[in-house]
Amino acid sequence: MKITTILTLCLSLMLSAGLQANPQTDPLNSVMWDYNRQIFLGNKAEYVFDDRIKVGVPAFAEDPTQVPLDIDATALTGRIERIVSWADLNPIQHIFTYYPHSDVLPKISLRIKVQQATAVRAAVLTTDGVWHIGSSWLEATGGGCTTPSVGNADPYWESHLGETKSRVFKGAQSSRYKFRVIHPMDTGLVGSIPEFFIQQVELRDDSGSALARMELSPPVSENPVITFDLRTTDAQHHLWLRDNNGNEFEKAL
Amino acid sequence: MSKFAAGKGFAVTALVAAMSFSGMATAGVTDKDILNDQATTGDVVSNGLGLRGQRYSPLKAVNTDTVKDLKAVWSFSFGGEKQRGQESQPMVKDGVMYVTGSYSRVFAIDVKTGEELWQYDARLPDGIMPCCDVINRGVALYGDLVIFGTLDAKLVALNKDTGKVKWKKKVGDYKAGYSLTAAPIVVKGKVITGVSGGEFGIVGKVEAYDAKTGKIAWTRPTVEGHMGYIWKDGKKTENGISGGKPGQTWPGDLWKTGGAATWLGGTYDPDVDLLFFGTGNPAPWNSHLRPGDNLFSSSRLAIDPDTGKIVWHFQTTPNDGWDFDGVNELISFDYNDGGKTVKAAATADRNGFMYVLNRESGDFIRGFPFVDEISWASGLDKNGRPIYIDSNRPGNPAAATDGKKGKAIRAVPSFLGGKNWMPMAYSQDTGLFYVPSNEWAMDIWNEPVSYKKGAAYLGAGFTIHPTNEEYIGVLRAMDPKSGKEVWRYKNYAPLWGGVLATAGNLVFMGNPEGYLMAFDAKNGEMKYKFNTGSGIVGSPITWEMDGEQYVSVVSGWGGAVPLWGGEVAKRVKHLNQGGSVWTFKLPKEDS
Repeated sequence: MKITTILTLCLSLMLSAGLQANPQTDPLNSVMWDYNRQIFLGNKAEYVFDDRIKVGVPAFAEDPTQVPLDIDATALTGRIERIVSWADLNPIQHIFTYYPHSDVLPKISLRIKVQQATAVRAAVLTTDGVWHIGSSWLEATGGGCTTPSVGNADPYWESHLGETKSRVFKGAQSSRYKFRVIHPMDTGLVGSIPEFFIQQVELRDDSGSALARMELSPPVSENPVITFDLRTTDAQHHLWLRDNNGNEFEKAL
Repeated sequence: MSKFAAGKGFAVTALVAAMSFSGMATAGVTDKDILNDQATTGDVVSNGLGLRGQRYSPLKAVNTDTVKDLKAVWSFSFGGEKQRGQESQPMVKDGVMYVTGSYSRVFAIDVKTGEELWQYDARLPDGIMPCCDVINRGVALYGDLVIFGTLDAKLVALNKDTGKVKWKKKVGDYKAGYSLTAAPIVVKGKVITGVSGGEFGIVGKVEAYDAKTGKIAWTRPTVEGHMGYIWKDGKKTENGISGGKPGQTWPGDLWKTGGAATWLGGTYDPDVDLLFFGTGNPAPWNSHLRPGDNLFSSSRLAIDPDTGKIVWHFQTTPNDGWDFDGVNELISFDYNDGGKTVKAAATADRNGFMYVLNRESGDFIRGFPFVDEISWASGLDKNGRPIYIDSNRPGNPAAATDGKKGKAIRAVPSFLGGKNWMPMAYSQDTGLFYVPSNEWAMDIWNEPVSYKKGAAYLGAGFTIHPTNEEYIGVLRAMDPKSGKEVWRYKNYAPLWGGVLATAGNLVFMGNPEGYLMAFDAKNGEMKYKFNTGSGIVGSPITWEMDGEQYVSVVSGWGGAVPLWGGEVAKRVKHLNQGGSVWTFKLPKEDS
């Protein structure tokens, strides 16, 4: 009975959303699709490939340690629970998991490292329990995850760790927060340099509750640059960050 | 941890879930577990196998008859390109070993298989300033936390099942020379730590933090004149100047950069409810710059664990001029004197004297040399104060014709000490202390120096020499009642590892040549040796699991000797670095 319900649900979703002919087939035909899907979505999760999830990457990764990635799920209707992003062929696939509040637009921009040409994914879980998958192919020569961070050649980061620069761009109906934080974001894949990266990012309002919560993994680029979009234009916010060594940083925006 | 933390992370998640499920019956390490550590042989949850630091285990399955059959069951490599000295004492709780490696690393190991459960590598800045190798001496356990200090002077608490950071606190500024190398201890729910950095003109201190949250409880500077603080309901309150006021035993401003680092951590005795911390050398080394006793350098301090107040102090080398950096552990023990129980404590100092004190009052009971030669003092007076031989204090550079280099003298022991950091053990069966010691001398002279933040603050030059061709290291069995040496084992290279005594009439110790050795506790006869592949400068432990007795020790040559050893370098330069922990047991009898 349960299976029937799910099937009906799937069918109705496909019909209503006007999706691709065969939503279960990876449009990029990546050998790692099934493996990563099971890790990040779980074995039994329902999912559809959905063109409304935009995964913006450049045609070619000029600098494999700093590749701009824009994920936009604003075309999706329905409440979003979380967004998980990964790169299929990176040695550490997971890039981030994002939990947007309803006051936050479900879009995010940051920069990532890539080890070789790869499919980049954004899986968006809506409250009805269905994952909507957006994908893009990124061409790259590679090596971005196993190159020592630039910071390692220079002790600058040691005395500036966690220093944050931020700007607020006010729009008519929304505002955009963009910040850059000094952190080596070491992957642990370079000899003698342990994994050292910002793990938690929270955008908090005055009362301290989180509007947006992110969990980052080491493929996020050194000195991360992250952009959030809010539906509000007036409220005061601050940023809270914590790395895997337990260092905490706070900054009023 | 994140449910979606990369491919590798996913497998770990499953493992952690399984582990926390199987560990549900245990509530983690409690204050009671720590206080009873010596008696409960199924675990090791404190540095020193009990907070008194006796390093004595009542286990006796491995004994003078059976130890010859002791076999390695697994060896675990710390891996990486980072080796250097491994001075850790492992801890064992609920089938998991928690052990630290060089460069502020922590490993959790399944003791049944030797497999790694997790590893935490602190990301250290390049600017760290450890004087004496990038070592770490071990963790403290409390609740579900594994707590340790890093080379950039942070106290870090990790979840025992995942290795993820629960809290992290800055204890000192690494750019000013602070670092942490000692194992913290947990007393009454507080994690107590000292600091390293005496070579950089830091101000020594002992600090207490709430072990669960990492909130600071009190801080006690160990140099006269500095204010202590206590936090009440989160509010920082003045808690008395150490020593009452500045300027009593220090001239001018020198107390502001007075050293007295508490770099070896401390012990605790619940009978008298006191913490015992040793303090290091005063800064700088040139004693002519700081006439006076220079409290509380080169002392043992008894500190109230609730308030952080100094209850008593005993100074071993007032106005130290030889880097007799007397942080050495003070071990509580009781003995019978004409039918009366004496609450005593013993310490074997860098300066070559061993002291027995009343641990309630700090009063001197007796003291005696534990090394063959002491050149700088002719003995101790009735209060335990050294009787100096003035001609054997390095000369004042200001008195030299060029004002640049004071008269050089030969001093014994050398500044690396009659005994350095390596902890001794006390056997409740023999009533003897087993003291890992070294016989060496130094040429030392003073030079002018001024303080600069983050720079070495010595004002001295020196070089170390062995005193004979045959040996430097001597493991001694010392009788604390008579001051007599009962037996000795001589070692070619200097000894740099801790000692363990057991009810099996055994004394375990490792040497730089790589051997884990076991001696008959009564007569010193060597009953066992096994080469671990690199020098041993860590402290062995023993515990019991499934009815069998285990012995573990870390192996990995390094520490201060290869860095500071002068002519001694000849005896150790062929020793290779390593980084592993070895575990031994007796073969199971066939039924």
